[in-house]
Amino acid sequence: MTDTAPMSSAVGHIDEEAVVPERRGLALIGGLALDLLISGKELYSIFVKTLYYTARGTRERGAVVRQMFEIGNRSLVFLCVVMGFIGMILVYQAGLQMLRVVPELSLLGATFLELIIRDLSASICALMLATRVGAGIAAEIGSMVVTEQVDALRMCAADPIDYLIKPRFIASIIMTLILVVIATFVAFLTGMWTGYIFFDINPLTFANLSLVDVGDVSIGITKCFVYGAAIPVVSGHCGLSTFGGSEGVGWATTRAVVNSSLAVIMLNFFISGAGYLIFGS
Amino acid sequence: MTDTITHRALAPLAAIGAFGSHLALVVGGMGVMFGRILARLVLLRFDRSELLRNMHKMGVKSLPIVVVTALFTGGIMVIQATPVVERVGAQALLGWGAGFGTLREIGPLLTALMISGRVGANNTAELGTMVVTEQIDALRALAIDPINFLIAPRFIGIVVTLFLSTIYADALALFGAAYAGLGLLGVEPLVFLHGLTGGLLGLGDVFHGLIKSVVFGVIIALSSCQFGISTTGGAPGVGRAVNATVVVSAVGIFVSDYLVSFAIG
Repeated sequence: MTDTAPMSSAVGHIDEEAVVPERRGLALIGGLALDLLISGKELYSIFVKTLYYTARGTRERGAVVRQMFEIGNRSLVFLCVVMGFIGMILVYQAGLQMLRVVPELSLLGATFLELIIRDLSASICALMLATRVGAGIAAEIGSMVVTEQVDALRMCAADPIDYLIKPRFIASIIMTLILVVIATFVAFLTGMWTGYIFFDINPLTFANLSLVDVGDVSIGITKCFVYGAAIPVVSGHCGLSTFGGSEGVGWATTRAVVNSSLAVIMLNFFISGAGYLIFGS
Repeated sequence: MTDTITHRALAPLAAIGAFGSHLALVVGGMGVMFGRILARLVLLRFDRSELLRNMHKMGVKSLPIVVVTALFTGGIMVIQATPVVERVGAQALLGWGAGFGTLREIGPLLTALMISGRVGANNTAELGTMVVTEQIDALRALAIDPINFLIAPRFIGIVVTLFLSTIYADALALFGAAYAGLGLLGVEPLVFLHGLTGGLLGLGDVFHGLIKSVVFGVIIALSSCQFGISTTGGAPGVGRAVNATVVVSAVGIFVSDYLVSFAIG
């Protein structure tokens, strides 16, 4: 079984299962920490190379537009359905809970808008994109690795990061922002409808932007950019480190979904924390 | 000439029709599979050792990502709940604000999404590879029922894993929330605990989340088994099947979340 991952030759890959016995106790923790460190280094190197190629790489005509269609248009219905339901669920649950504490719901709409603009819209969309787009990128690049097309690219002196990851990176950053704006609007509409049907809130009262300030909008937009950049890098890394036939493509896809979802959740925590410290509540 | 024009004009309709029949195929396939699995479960005709092996592989091995997800989720919930809580009252209500969101919605939801990504996608990849390499046909040739041997144990494994992981994740998320509250807002964990247990939240909220987790588990299990078993077309086919599974599971999770929230109030 040959490992065709670009980075692992530098790490000195050997068939671990055969040589190293199962790790236990301290060795397990140490091994996990080393694995984490190595993945971190590889991710960092892919990210830096992607940025470099974004500035200076070859420009293949239409590659970015094709990826924008693949990432953006193909995810639109999926995201709208999910965010539509999120809007309804949130207003319904939050309304029920707020009635336990305060008897009137005139601020429900304003609070809901603040919450989805600052956090939930970008984060839920990014989780969904991590599953759909991340799995797609890893499956595509993974099957190219398995069928040795990536090696063929290297033979032609074309860096797979320049050819495969860079267009997806640019497309993902642009389309994430656009998709999040559309999905936020959908969630707002379904939330307003739910407020009107279940709690008798006038749609005009619900559409209250008074609680949304510059801080909320800038945190939301920052999240869109960061998630949009993180998803193709993480799942591209998983795709490029595929090995072992059709089974390997399956594992790579799974890893891409899990790792990019985890990346979104962790980044969310750090950006939200930083945003709270910078802008206050 | 007029033929092609009508063709073009009707293209959107054809696309909608194709989508509809595809949807019916997927949902119908999942329904038939659910029926067959239930029949096996009632008669207790499934492979026990395979069940144990799957539960270890799905449950125990997923623990690290459940732990990480839950701790971070708790922290996020505190940061997001703060402005809401400050508006309706004191910081004493922080436990309530972070608690109801975590227990009723975000805890079960995020755990389900992570388990769908890790276990569901893995399951599809495994079954898909078996189909592509004709291992399922080999089982049939040996007169071993694939549903007894492969599908039913995985179904139980996923549902049980998700249920237990959600309990775990709820507890850890509240723990993470209490300490994120201390670190970021200076709210003592005891104050947080009082907000949590002060009477505004009850066991009902916990069960609300747990019922959801069972429904999500059934959806993840059915979609991952269905797409895995109907894989076609080699290595790219496995990738496509995994992709379809995570998308269908996610939509199923959100749609059923709404329906269940509404049904059990």
